[in-house]
Amino acid sequence: MTDAVRLETLYKTYDDTGTAVTALDGVTASFGAGTFTAVMGPSGSGKSTLLQCAAGLDRPTAGRVFLAGTELHAGKDTAMTKFRRTRVGFVFQDYNLLPALTVEQNVLLPSRLAGRRADHARARAVLDRLGLLDRRDDLPERLSGGQRQRVAIARALIGDPAVVFADEPTGALDLRSAREVLSLLRTVVHEHGRTVVMVTHDPVAAAYADSVLFLADGRLAGALSAPTAEAVAERLAHLGDLVGAGAEAVA
Amino acid sequence: MIAVALRGLRHRPGGFVATFLSAFLGATLLMTFAAMLDTAAGADTVSAESLSTTAAVAGGWCLIIVIFAVTSTLSLAVRRRAEQTALLRRLGATGPQVGRMIVGEAVAVALVASAAAVPVGLVLGRLLLALMQDTGQVAAGVGYAFGPVALGVGFGVTLLGSVVAAVATVRRTAGPAGARPERPRARRVAGVVFLLIATNCSVLTATLMDGKGIDAMQTAGQAGIWAAIGLALFAPELLRLVTAVLAGPVRLAGGAAGELAVLGVRQRTRRLAGAVMPVALFTGIATGTVYMQGIEDDAAAGTIQPAYARDIQTLNYVVVGMITVFVAIMLVNSLIAATAHRRREFAQQRLAGSTRGQVLALVSLEGLLVTATGVLSGSTASLFTILPFGAARADRVWPDASPVAYMTIVVIAVALTGLSLLGTTRRTLRGPAVAALR
Ligand SMILES: Nc1ncnc2c1ncn2[C@@H]1O[C@H](COP(=O)(O)OP(=O)(O)O)[C@@H](O)[C@H]1O
Ligand SMILES: [Mg+2]
Repeated sequence: MTDAVRLETLYKTYDDTGTAVTALDGVTASFGAGTFTAVMGPSGSGKSTLLQCAAGLDRPTAGRVFLAGTELHAGKDTAMTKFRRTRVGFVFQDYNLLPALTVEQNVLLPSRLAGRRADHARARAVLDRLGLLDRRDDLPERLSGGQRQRVAIARALIGDPAVVFADEPTGALDLRSAREVLSLLRTVVHEHGRTVVMVTHDPVAAAYADSVLFLADGRLAGALSAPTAEAVAERLAHLGDLVGAGAEAVA
Repeated sequence: MIAVALRGLRHRPGGFVATFLSAFLGATLLMTFAAMLDTAAGADTVSAESLSTTAAVAGGWCLIIVIFAVTSTLSLAVRRRAEQTALLRRLGATGPQVGRMIVGEAVAVALVASAAAVPVGLVLGRLLLALMQDTGQVAAGVGYAFGPVALGVGFGVTLLGSVVAAVATVRRTAGPAGARPERPRARRVAGVVFLLIATNCSVLTATLMDGKGIDAMQTAGQAGIWAAIGLALFAPELLRLVTAVLAGPVRLAGGAAGELAVLGVRQRTRRLAGAVMPVALFTGIATGTVYMQGIEDDAAAGTIQPAYARDIQTLNYVVVGMITVFVAIMLVNSLIAATAHRRREFAQQRLAGSTRGQVLALVSLEGLLVTATGVLSGSTASLFTILPFGAARADRVWPDASPVAYMTIVVIAVALTGLSLLGTTRRTLRGPAVAALR
């Protein structure tokens, strides 16, 4: 199995406030193509930082990132943006749709920015699959949270990325919308062969994934495959004891 | 609430720098010209008349521009803090409490600005008197006085302008949070009234003032100012029109960025209209005044002129210079306000795959639409001055003048817009996009 994402000894230190904070402390992990992985850990354990460094949204202080076999060079912002366009989809907790654009325009934006012609047929096919075809001319403000998140997922999928990263995609949603979004992500992986890496703090959400990677204090703290909500909750509760012990675990 | 207001000023002075600057400059100029009235009180009849005329003509222009500048900078400063205001409201502050806070801040800024203006106005007034004595318009023996009129007008107008602007802003923001309907009717009616006054001044210039020589400048100059303000009040409509006309070329030139620019201008017409206004005022008043003076210089060549012609020439250029400074402040301020809060939006575009260059292209294209609208309105307004003055003074409606001055004015307008827009945008684009969303 080829890896969609490979992270080699990633370090990330923030020191813009004067006191240095180590958010990632030597993380090595890989995510196989066509898998659905959840990343879990206490608040502040470095989950978002991990995702952003892996997606080329931020630069690691040290370490290497490979996406679909190509190394991401943390150089100029513009170069990183162009690299991201073809390889990465990203879904945020608060959607980050452009409020001035309609649903369809939002979905088409990445390819338009990449200088490609707007492929309306493809956008509509994706929206149709996500049950949003009849809302394609609406502005995001007219949609519910769950619908907005599905639009964000459609936008992340349209560029045929090697991997879709999702940072707490259900964090702002009610239970029902959250379930819809999680099932959608599962479908994306299992029926359409995509790779999804999702950060969540909800054991129930993590149970939708094929495996779970635990993070504590910026280090890996174990993994779990075929997770159930109970098993995940149990592991989370004991995460403190595992810090350091299982740091080299791999997904 | 006043205590909260003062603390707000101390902790977030940035938003008030522009308000302070425009109030300070305004109060300085008002005091300078009003001091001529103080001086006139102790002068002979002929000198007194010259002094009063200068104060009335130039001071009148200042008055309009000062009120305009203070109003626009203050309401932007208040709007920039809409978040803080909304938070106070949610914490239980009543509308009137928040209102008192905003008005209190405005009064504090106006008082400090006026006080700071006193020494500068004192010196400038002395210089102005010396200038008028050098040209023989005022008797050499007349002593300089800086007294109740200078202080009264300086403090009074600045304070009044600030309070009126603050109250107007409060009334717009104090309603139920979020709902802030525009009142296009009042704005349009005001615009039509200003344009009618402008037309009236133009007609007067071409008819009544025909043959009155340099005195026609009074009505002609005013015509252009009223027209610029009148057209500026139609900025949203004009911006929409210009955008509709230029949408095709802008999309063609900018690709996705061009498309976003057209959409952005359509969505934020009201906010961007605030930036059209200073461009229109600057282009209109500068073009009108410079070409009017050019016509005058040609017509006056070789003839005997009244003693004050030289003064008026000097004053005209002083007015153009000072309006440029005012407009620069207003423009930079409104563009910074219209751009800084877009940090989040720009970050979202970058997360959707926009490069920094594409965001800058988008902002430049938006700026282009704004500048084009402003220059167009201003150029039209300047014709309210130039055409009738030419008819009255030189018997030719279209002046026989070089376009170089006009091009220079347009270049300055474009440069001011471009530099402040790109400077602010660049700053909001610093660091990774995700950092802007935290
Ligand atoms: N921009 C930043 N500047 C300084 N510290 C940061 C920044 N972003 C995150 N951190 C710190 O890095 C650590 C990891 O943060 P994050 O990756 O957001 O954790 P998580 O997503 O697991 O809650 C935390 O201690 C956080 O305070
Ligand atoms: Mg996080």
